[in-house]
Amino acid sequence: MNADFHYYATYCAAQLAGYSHAESLDIAYSACFVDFCSKTLLSKIKAPLSAATTQLQLELMDARTDAAGLQDITRIWSSFHFLPYNLQARPKRRCSKKYRNKFRLICNPNSALLEETVRLAKGKSLQAAGIAMHVLADTWAHRYFAGTPSLVINNTNAYFYELLPEGEKKITFRHSASAPDDPANSVYTCSLHYNSENSIMNLGHGRAGHLPDYCFARYKYLPAWGGYEEVVKDNPSDYRHAFCQMIEAMKFLRGERETFARDTYDTQAVASRAQWLEKILHKRQLDASADWKAFGESVSGKEIAAFDLDIYQDEYKNAPKERKDSTFLGRFILAALAQKSMVTGHIFRSGSLLAGYPIDSAEGSRGKNRVFGRILNGAKGGGEA
Amino acid sequence: MKYWHRIKNLGIGLICILFALTLVIAPSQGFYVVAMILCISLFGYAIRMLWYYFTMARHMVGGKAIVYQGIIALDLALFASSVISMSKVYIILYLLGVYAFSGAIDMLRAMEAKRFDAPSWKLKFVSGCVMVAVAAALSILGLFFGANDFLVYGYCVSLVYSAVIRIVGAFRRTSVVFIQ
Repeated sequence: MNADFHYYATYCAAQLAGYSHAESLDIAYSACFVDFCSKTLLSKIKAPLSAATTQLQLELMDARTDAAGLQDITRIWSSFHFLPYNLQARPKRRCSKKYRNKFRLICNPNSALLEETVRLAKGKSLQAAGIAMHVLADTWAHRYFAGTPSLVINNTNAYFYELLPEGEKKITFRHSASAPDDPANSVYTCSLHYNSENSIMNLGHGRAGHLPDYCFARYKYLPAWGGYEEVVKDNPSDYRHAFCQMIEAMKFLRGERETFARDTYDTQAVASRAQWLEKILHKRQLDASADWKAFGESVSGKEIAAFDLDIYQDEYKNAPKERKDSTFLGRFILAALAQKSMVTGHIFRSGSLLAGYPIDSAEGSRGKNRVFGRILNGAKGGGEA
Repeated sequence: MKYWHRIKNLGIGLICILFALTLVIAPSQGFYVVAMILCISLFGYAIRMLWYYFTMARHMVGGKAIVYQGIIALDLALFASSVISMSKVYIILYLLGVYAFSGAIDMLRAMEAKRFDAPSWKLKFVSGCVMVAVAAALSILGLFFGANDFLVYGYCVSLVYSAVIRIVGAFRRTSVVFIQ
C-alpha cells in the first residue's frame, strides 16, 4: 500500500472509529511513517537503529544477504509489511525444513499474529495504533508474498493478467526504476528476475511490481509457491476489507468494542458513504491521495494536513535523553520495537531462525541485543498512552 | 549492486588478470591450471544448483529450469575435465568456446535488458560482441594459420579485456527496483 491509503485512508478509518481530528492525524502519521522509518533516518536523529521499520532503496542495495543480513531484512519486512499468516503451516508436499520455514512466512489477512498485533497496541500510544493499522492494511495488500528474500516463494512468471471490465489483458513488466507505471496499457515496473534464492530482488512483492499497492488492480497470476494453482487478487475488495477492519480494530483500541476478533469488519460505519468508497477503490490512478483526502475531510469537516516527514524530527533530536521516549517519535520507536520483538519471537518459537533471536531467548540477551533489550524494557512501560 | 557483489567482481577481475599473466609467463602449465579451475568452479556451481532444486526449487512454479541449469553445468564441467588431459590446442579452443559462449550470453542478456528499458545494456552488449569476435578471430588464426603463440597471447588479451570490463562494472552506479 502507498501513502494514500496509509495516511489518508487511515485518517478516515480513525475518524469513523470515533477518534478526534488530532488523534486521527497522529494515528495516520504513524501508520504512514512506518514506510519511512529507515536506519538512515534513525541515524540522522540519533535514535536506536534496531527500531527501523523499513529499508530504503540504497540500504537494500547495500544489505548483506548472509545469515545475519537476511535476519535483519526478515525482522523488518515480516514484522511491519508482510505479517506471516500461519507459522505452523505445512506445504502440501513433503519438503525440506528450509523451504517450510520460508513458506510459513507467507502473508495473509486475519492471522493470529494480526490479533496479537492489535492487542499489543491496546492501551498504548496513538503511535502504536498507527503501526498496528499499517500492519493490518498491508496484510491485505501484500497477501501471498513473504517478507524475506526468496525465489521459491516470491517469484512470479510470465503468466500475469490484469482483469479489466472489458476482459483479461496480459501485463507487461519492465525493470526501469525511473519510468512510472502505465495502468492504461497494463505496463508496470517490477524487480529483475535474479536466479538466486536470497537475492534482494526476490523480497516481498518485488517480482509483481507495485500491483499489490494499487487499490484498483485486479489480476491473476501463478505464485511460485502455489503449485501451478492460479491466484486471483481483487484489490478493490481487499482494500475495502482492510478499511472496514481498520475501523473495527480502532473501535477496539478506543474501548468501544470489548474484543477484536478476526474476520470482523465494520461495514455499518461506511454504509452512508459506500458508493463514494467504491468509486475511490475502482478509480485507475497511481495515487489516490486527493480522493481519500476529500473523503476524510467530508467525514471530519476539517482540513487534513499533508504528510510531512520532517515535522517531528527536531523534537526528538533536541529532547534531553530522559524525555526522548515521550516525544512523538520516541513513542513511535517504542511501539515499533515492541511489534518487532513480538513477531520475531513468534517466528523464532516456530523453529525458524530466519528473523533471528528474540530478546527473551538465551542468544538474544547476548552482545548487541542487550541494547535492544534495554530499549524494549522501556517500550513495555514508556509506550503507554 | 551490493558491496559484496562489487568486491566479488573486482576479485574475479583481478584473478583473470593474474591468469593472463600466468599464461604469458608459463603457457604450458598455465593452461592446465586455468582449465582445472574452470572445471572445478563449474562442477561446484552444478552441485549447488542441483542441491537447491532438490531442497527448495522443486516446489517452485518453473523450478525445473534450475535442474536443467544444474545438469548443463555438470555436463560442461565433465567435458572440461576430459579436455584437460588433451593437447594445449584443444584446451585453448575449448577455453575460447567457453569465452565465446559467455559473450553470446552477455549479448542476449543485454538485448533482454534493452527490451525492459533497463539501463546499462550498451556496455554489456558491446563487451559481448567483442568477446564473440575475438574468440572467432583467434580460433581462425589458430586452426587455419597454425599461429598457436598468437592464439595464446590473443586469449590473454581477451581475458584481460573481460577482467577490465568486470572491474569497471564493479565501480559503476546501478539502479535497483525494490518494492516497499
